[in-house]
Amino acid sequence: MSQIRLPLGMRDLVFEEARKKRQLQERIETIFHSYGYQEVIAPTIEFLETYQKAFSSLKDQQMYKFFDAAGNTLALRMDMTVPIARICASKYKDEEGPFRFCYCANVFKVRESFAGKRSEVTDCGVELIGLDEQSDLEVISCALDTMKSFGIADYTLEIGNSSFFKKACILLNLSNDVAEKLAQLVDQKSMVDLKEYLVSLDLSQKQEEFFLKLPLLNGKNVLKDALTISFDDSLKAIVQKLQDLKENLKALGYEDNITFDLGKVPHLDYYTGILFEGYVHGVGTSVLSGGRYDHLLSIFGKDLPAVGFSIKLDYLLDVIDQKPEKILYLYYPVERQIEAFEKARELRKEQRVKLIPYNGENIMIQEGTQ
Amino acid sequence: MSLSIALTKGRLEKKTIEMLDQVGYGTQNLKTKGRTLVFEDTLKPVQYFLAKSNDVLTYVDHGVADIGIVGKDTLMERGSTAYELLDLEIGKCRFCVASLPEKKLLKKTGHIKIGTKYPRVAREYFLKQGIDVEVIKIEGSVELAPILGLADGIVDIVETGTTLKENGLVLLDTVCDISARVIVNKASYKLKREEVLQFVQDLESVVKLRADKNR
Repeated sequence: MSQIRLPLGMRDLVFEEARKKRQLQERIETIFHSYGYQEVIAPTIEFLETYQKAFSSLKDQQMYKFFDAAGNTLALRMDMTVPIARICASKYKDEEGPFRFCYCANVFKVRESFAGKRSEVTDCGVELIGLDEQSDLEVISCALDTMKSFGIADYTLEIGNSSFFKKACILLNLSNDVAEKLAQLVDQKSMVDLKEYLVSLDLSQKQEEFFLKLPLLNGKNVLKDALTISFDDSLKAIVQKLQDLKENLKALGYEDNITFDLGKVPHLDYYTGILFEGYVHGVGTSVLSGGRYDHLLSIFGKDLPAVGFSIKLDYLLDVIDQKPEKILYLYYPVERQIEAFEKARELRKEQRVKLIPYNGENIMIQEGTQ
Repeated sequence: MSLSIALTKGRLEKKTIEMLDQVGYGTQNLKTKGRTLVFEDTLKPVQYFLAKSNDVLTYVDHGVADIGIVGKDTLMERGSTAYELLDLEIGKCRFCVASLPEKKLLKKTGHIKIGTKYPRVAREYFLKQGIDVEVIKIEGSVELAPILGLADGIVDIVETGTTLKENGLVLLDTVCDISARVIVNKASYKLKREEVLQFVQDLESVVKLRADKNR
């Protein structure tokens, strides 16, 4: 039997699929560049240790791993944020910044069998390193402009802030284990299990209510409700910052496409401030995700705040349109090959030309698309 | 925007439809189903389809269905990225550990083998008890495994306990309670928020009503 199988989660993209992806990538890169982000190209392979340092709760069974000749464990990169943090901390260790990096690169994750998920996807994103939360607005604007460029009418960017949850846990002296378990239940909006778990924690009624309401604090006008359940001034301050961000985004005309979710608390050990996810009609998962990660750079020896986001191009391919490309078809009889090729060379200065041998007498040119 | 809802076939199906009827959904098409697979609601912009519990999860995770109604057992075993918003309090049963009476499973030293349809649930339960067990996946009639000596004990869904008793097994512990849950695809929750929340609220009102009646 001939070997035609692909490894799990891998896909070929041909012709219009590939063209669609390329066109989308170009649109996205145009916007990144218009904001002054500059491209970084990083190797596909990193040491596993680089990722283990970066994520304290790394699920390394999700990474493709292998060994080099010296017995070091290598891994296919699972994102570009970690390589860029590494690059910034090493290549620019004496520079102040701010740095604006962008990338379009394939990233890898081992997926469970037969779930219809991709193991290799193209990630296009930006990282703004060296500016504090004042720069959140810039990155969110860039994310919204990028989503607009997809050309899908129905899209939304949902913004949260993980500090809101974390601060509450600190104020209540909850242990890390408890905070993590709570974060998981809140993030999954597992209302039933959350209720049960909270009862076991022995909190006051008001505190219990805070965590019970948190998963449902989402939508366009939730910041007022968030203020109501904030049981401390430091929590109120976080909501106020989101309110300011909202006003600014409104002033810039983005109001229709933003919502808020205070119950968005994934990866507690990674995100340190705002975080956001983009959704488009027709795709069952987020297509854009990002946030502030002020601790990551210090792991690589350079203590700088950072914020960024990335888009998974492949998730969008089923819902975006592609523009067919114009091309000339040049039909020629074999005996007039040289003449035809010279003609084609002339035409190629301005257009695309596809040469097609045929059984006629004349050289014919037809306009077409592909 | 219309909602697409995946219902679990079989045991939960009838009870779910009863709940929908109670809050004014038009489920006639679901009741008179022939060989069709997709059913339009006769009163509201909702579309239903029936699927096996595992498939309900798959459809919702991929966003092909906005909402799914599925047992907690399937959610626990498979894991899901969907939001789990409501306990419908139907299809109630529990995950239990059972064995032959002479086995003293939970105090046994040495190698322990557990037969189950739910390997993940079984493994997590025993790890939590600080017991390392070998899990053997069985597809049906799990009670057979200890009787024939394939496993020392089982983890399985128990509704009344009659089947266990009839096969001479004793109940050792309850892992957790199970019932039907309403799950929502993350993207659907963001993009069809009002429709989704309306549906959840409708069902929630039935749950509350029934709870009040039983009080």
